[in-house]
Amino acid sequence: MRATLLVAALATGTFLTTAPALAQDVAKGQDLFNHKCAACHQKTGLGVKGAFPALAGDPFVVGDPEPVVRTVLQGRGGMPTFAALLSEDQLADIISYIRQAWGNSAPAVNTGFVVTVKTNAHPQDKAPTVTH
Amino acid sequence: MPAMTELPGAGVTRRHFLEKAALLGGSAMVMTALNAWGAGIASMTSAPPALRGSGAGHKLLILGAGVAGMTAAYEMSKLGYQVTILEARAFGGGRCQTARKGFKLTELGGEEQECTFDEGLYLNHGPWRIPFCHRSTLHYTKTFGIPLEVLVNENDASYARFDTVKGPLAGKRVRQFEVRADMRGYTSELVAKAATSGKLDTGLAKDDVELFVEYLRGEGYLENDLSYRGTEGRGYKVNPGAGIDDPGPGVPSTPYAFPDLVQSKLWRMVQSVGTFDQQHTMFQPVGGMDRIAKGFEKHVGHLIKYNAEVERIRQSDGGVTVDYLDTKTGKRSTISADYCLCTIPVSVLRTIDADFSDAYKQAMGLLSYDPVCKIGLQMKRRFWEEDDAIYGGHVYTDAPGINLISLPSSGWQSAKGVLLGYYMFGADATDMSGNTPAERTAIALDVGQRIFPQYKENFENSFSASWHLIQYNLGGWGNWSAEARKVAYPVLNKPDRRIYLAGEHISYIGGWQAGAIESAWHQIAQIHQRVVA
Repeated sequence: MRATLLVAALATGTFLTTAPALAQDVAKGQDLFNHKCAACHQKTGLGVKGAFPALAGDPFVVGDPEPVVRTVLQGRGGMPTFAALLSEDQLADIISYIRQAWGNSAPAVNTGFVVTVKTNAHPQDKAPTVTH
Repeated sequence: MPAMTELPGAGVTRRHFLEKAALLGGSAMVMTALNAWGAGIASMTSAPPALRGSGAGHKLLILGAGVAGMTAAYEMSKLGYQVTILEARAFGGGRCQTARKGFKLTELGGEEQECTFDEGLYLNHGPWRIPFCHRSTLHYTKTFGIPLEVLVNENDASYARFDTVKGPLAGKRVRQFEVRADMRGYTSELVAKAATSGKLDTGLAKDDVELFVEYLRGEGYLENDLSYRGTEGRGYKVNPGAGIDDPGPGVPSTPYAFPDLVQSKLWRMVQSVGTFDQQHTMFQPVGGMDRIAKGFEKHVGHLIKYNAEVERIRQSDGGVTVDYLDTKTGKRSTISADYCLCTIPVSVLRTIDADFSDAYKQAMGLLSYDPVCKIGLQMKRRFWEEDDAIYGGHVYTDAPGINLISLPSSGWQSAKGVLLGYYMFGADATDMSGNTPAERTAIALDVGQRIFPQYKENFENSFSASWHLIQYNLGGWGNWSAEARKVAYPVLNKPDRRIYLAGEHISYIGGWQAGAIESAWHQIAQIHQRVVA
C-alpha cells in the first residue's frame, strides 16, 4: 500500500522526496564517497575535466533527486552500477553528502526514497561483465 | 531472460568473485544471457579481407595507434592509401601494453607510478590472453613472427578458498581438482543410481540406459556399486613413489562430504567446459603482450605521429579535418584526409569537440565502459611452484572484488615472478582504484596471504593499473547493454559521412584484441569499397 502511494506520488511529482537532514548520516556519506566515488569524481567533487563530471556546483546533483539516485543505482556511461555494492542506507548517505558538500545546497535524500527509486527503476539493462 | 545483474542477493562481489561470469547460474544460463546481450564470443574471421583495386591517391587518417588503428594502417597502406595515424601517447599499441622496469603510469587524479620489476619480469596490465578461437589475432602474431607460449588458463592443481560461505569448507584452502572430482563424482553417483533404479525418466531405451550409466561411471569415477568414494585425480594424502612404503603406493585422499561441498559453493568453479574464449589452448606472446604492438609498429611506425592529441574533428563534403596538439612541443596542427578511421575509445571520443550528427552522438552516449583494475606483485621466490607445485593458472577467492589471483605462465622455475594479484571489474574496480598504489598493494597482499602463507614475506614491489582512470582510455572496454546493442551499435557500425569507427567496441568480441582487429578489417573493407566504387 505504502509502495503504491509512493509510486503514485512520484508519478505526480507531489511526494516529499526529502527528509530532515538529520535522518541521513552525511559524515558517513562523506567517508563512503571518499572510498567509493572519489577515484573518479575526486574528493574535491571537481571531477577530472574531460573524463569525470564535477559534482560540485552541478545542477543535476542538486536538482530533482530521482534521476540522481537512479544514476547511482544504474550507472551511466563509464559509471558502473552501485546497486549491489552499496545498501540503500549507504546510498542515501552518499547522495545526501554530495547534495550538501562543496557549497552544494540541496535537501538530503532518505533511505525510503532510495528504496522507492530502486523499486521503480527499470530493470537494470547492463550486460554482465565477461572476462577477457 | 536471466539477467545476471539482477539475481537476488547476487551482489557485485558475489557476481564477480570468480573470473567467469558463468559460474553463477551454470553455463546454459550464461550462454542464454550472453546471446541475449549480443555478447557472442566466437571470432570466426581468420584473415584480412581480400581487397582488390588500389587506394593510391586517397588519404586515410587514422585516429589512434592501438591494435585496430595499426591493423587498418598495415592493410590500407599495402593497398596504396596514403595513411597517417595520430596517436596521443608516445608509443603505439593502445591498451596493448606491458609494464616492465621503467614503465610509467599516472592515473587521472593519482600519483605517478614507475614500474620497478626486475629485468625480464612484466605485467600485461591490458590484454593478457589470446584464445585459440581468436584467429585474427593469431593471424598477425604469425604474420609478424611473434613467438607465442601457452598461458595456463586452467589449473586443476591450483587453490581455491571461499570465506563467505557456510559449512566446514568455509575458509579452507582446497585444491580445485578435489572439488571437481567430488562434485562430479557425487552427481554422477546420484544420477546413475536413480537411472538404474527406475527413479529417473531418462527417455532412453533400456539398452541405452546401460550405456548412459557406463558414461556416468567413467565421468564420475564410480565404483562397481555406482558409488563415488574418491579417485586419484583428486590428489593423494601422500603421493606414490619408490619403495615398499614411505611412500611406496602413497596414501589416497578422502573425498569431502557431499553436504559440505554443496554448502561451500566451491562448485562455482566446476563447469562442463569453459566458455568458448576461455578454453585450451590459451596463448600469450613470449616476453609480454606489447610484442604485438611492437610487431605492428615495426611495419606502420613510420606512419604514426606520436604525442598527437586530437582536439577537434570536422567534416565537409570533401573530407575530414582534424586539429591536434603535439603534447611534447605544445604546437597545434591541422591535418586533412579523404576518409578517417577513428579508433579512439568512445569514452574518450565523446569528450572531443567533433561535429558528428546528433544521431551519432546519441548512439555514442549509450555505450558504457567497464572500470577494470589489475595489479602485478613481484615475488622474490616462486613459492607457488617450489612449495605448492602450482605452475600457472588461477587461484580463486571470494574476497570482495579480487576475483582471482593468477600465476605467471612464463619464466618457469626461474628465481622470481610477477603474479596478477587481482583482476577487478565494475564498482569493485572503482572502489579499489580510489586507493593509492600502496593501499591497493596492501589489500592485495592481505587476500593473497590467506591463500599462501608465503605471500607477504616474498613480496618485493608492485604495479597497478585502473583503466577507467587512464587518460586516452577511460575504461577497460565497451560494454553494450541489450538496448544499446540494438539501437546504437548499428548506428556506430556505419560511417558518419566520411568517418568510420573501429575498435573492440565496434564488434561482438568486445574487450579482446580480436575485436579491434576484426572491426578494423570490417571498416576498411567498407572504406575501400566506397573508394573503388
